[in-house]
Amino acid sequence: MSQMAAPPFPPGEPHGPRQVSKFEFNLLRITRFLTGHFPADQGLSLVNAALPQPPCASANAVELVKDTLAKALVLFLVRAGGWRNDKFLRHNMPTPGRVWHRIPLEERILKFSPPVMEFLIWLTAEKVLDTKKAWDATPQTLTPADELFFALAFDALRHDTHVLTVLRKKAAFRHNPFCWLLAAGDLAGRENATVSPPDFTPLFQGERAVFLECLQRYLEQRWIAHEQAKGQITDWSKMRCVGQAEYAALRYYIEAADTAKRHDLARFILRTNAAILSLNPTSDFWTGGLQGSGPPRLADRLETQRAALAVPRQMELLREWQARARSVAFFDDDYAASQLWKSEWEAVQGDRLAERAQAIIARLEPLRGSVPDAKPTLASNTAETESSGTGPSTDRPK
Amino acid sequence: MSRAYRITVKESESRHLKAGDEICTQLELLEILPPEDMATLLREELKRRGFEEQEDGTLIRRDGEVIITVDPCSGEVSVKAETEAQVTQEAKREATGFNDVGPNERSLRERVKEQLKQDLERKFEQEQSKLQSQATEKLEKHLQDLTPQIHDIVNQVTRDALKQKAQQLGTVKEISEDAESGSLTIKVEI
Repeated sequence: MSQMAAPPFPPGEPHGPRQVSKFEFNLLRITRFLTGHFPADQGLSLVNAALPQPPCASANAVELVKDTLAKALVLFLVRAGGWRNDKFLRHNMPTPGRVWHRIPLEERILKFSPPVMEFLIWLTAEKVLDTKKAWDATPQTLTPADELFFALAFDALRHDTHVLTVLRKKAAFRHNPFCWLLAAGDLAGRENATVSPPDFTPLFQGERAVFLECLQRYLEQRWIAHEQAKGQITDWSKMRCVGQAEYAALRYYIEAADTAKRHDLARFILRTNAAILSLNPTSDFWTGGLQGSGPPRLADRLETQRAALAVPRQMELLREWQARARSVAFFDDDYAASQLWKSEWEAVQGDRLAERAQAIIARLEPLRGSVPDAKPTLASNTAETESSGTGPSTDRPK
Repeated sequence: MSRAYRITVKESESRHLKAGDEICTQLELLEILPPEDMATLLREELKRRGFEEQEDGTLIRRDGEVIITVDPCSGEVSVKAETEAQVTQEAKREATGFNDVGPNERSLRERVKEQLKQDLERKFEQEQSKLQSQATEKLEKHLQDLTPQIHDIVNQVTRDALKQKAQQLGTVKEISEDAESGSLTIKVEI
């Protein structure tokens, strides 16, 4: 009978739970709340309470925070979409597989920097609404993993409107591109309506691009939910703030994706449009909840209605991508990438969606009204061109 | 012995109030011809309909207090309505004081004046909002009249562009237009 060697023991674990102070216990619970592993109501009550801060955190507590962050963020990314056997561009070539098959380990190691721990200590020691020591982090010092963590923290905390008002003034959130992708409408409150999204270019490089690959389905679900929630907005000025922030975020994101030649990372915008526009909605889907006659100026009312259609208005740019992808020849460098985009576009019947989006937008625009189609048609030898004479259609003559 | 007195303060102010409303939109022109040719056709059509060309290349028409501006190159149309009025407002307030208690006459008068200023400000705000409503109403009404005109302009430019395009394609054999249905048929021999 052969004898098998005993499996190696895991690293020495102390018997029973590790000992931490009351402050550290709350800090750990807040960490778990921010990463989605603790009930929101209890987490928010901990955030709104204050505890005296000890001179330094124990080694046990630091170990547990590290362990929680490492496991929770990886778990989040895997659940959000990293597990899917999907196809994304790598070195401009479509690469299939799950995220751990597509991306080598060294390109997906999460590194956290001191601002994360400082933020957790601040959140535990201070009442966010009545803070004695102001906390913020310089966006340039944050690692990709920090940014993702702060985006998740913002997402967890934004449900408390008072906390949200404080957090959105902080650079760690205001200039965080992941925050803009998750909750653009919440970043632009009425008090800082003019705030504009950060530069999205770094998102399409290195680890951040890997995060985006994992987040495509998650972002799609989030944006669909945002769009559905718009119909419940009753306040005109809120709708305008939310819509303008969303429009700017998506527009900058699409432009940055185009510059980085990562059209595959705008998949969630296309699919969000597909999910909404396949219902064949009218503009009431977005603006139906608005109460009263709105602002006195027609210009403001129109601007609000245009802002509400932030997502379908992106179809115009995506259609341009499709037109460009169609013109890429087999021997061009971008052929494989353009084929991937075309397959995405065709899978959701992009042409039909773009026409629907255009029709919805056109109905809102003054001086357009409803106009029947004018389709110039060409016969074989004798070209016969016919115009209904009542305005142009969305079809463009070849 | 305490003696009461009454102060009456009157203020009047005249202001020139202005209100405006403006919408901007894009003409939906088909790219039948190159953009510069489409712009030329649009410019000609707009001139025929009373628009005047400006130094910056835009075309403007004034319909009363409404100004329509069209940029033929970008196809951007803006319609602006403005109203203005010289408004005079008057406010009056009275206050009672006592010579031995409470604020003295001077501070009482200043307090009343401060209140009067606020009263006047409120009245002017009301006037301003009335003017604003007038400007918006004017704009809305004018947009209703303008929409068919803009449709006609776009249609005419589309027809002219189609005719030119047909000439470029080959020999135009026949052009038939039905003014009632608005249809245009061009037969081209290529």
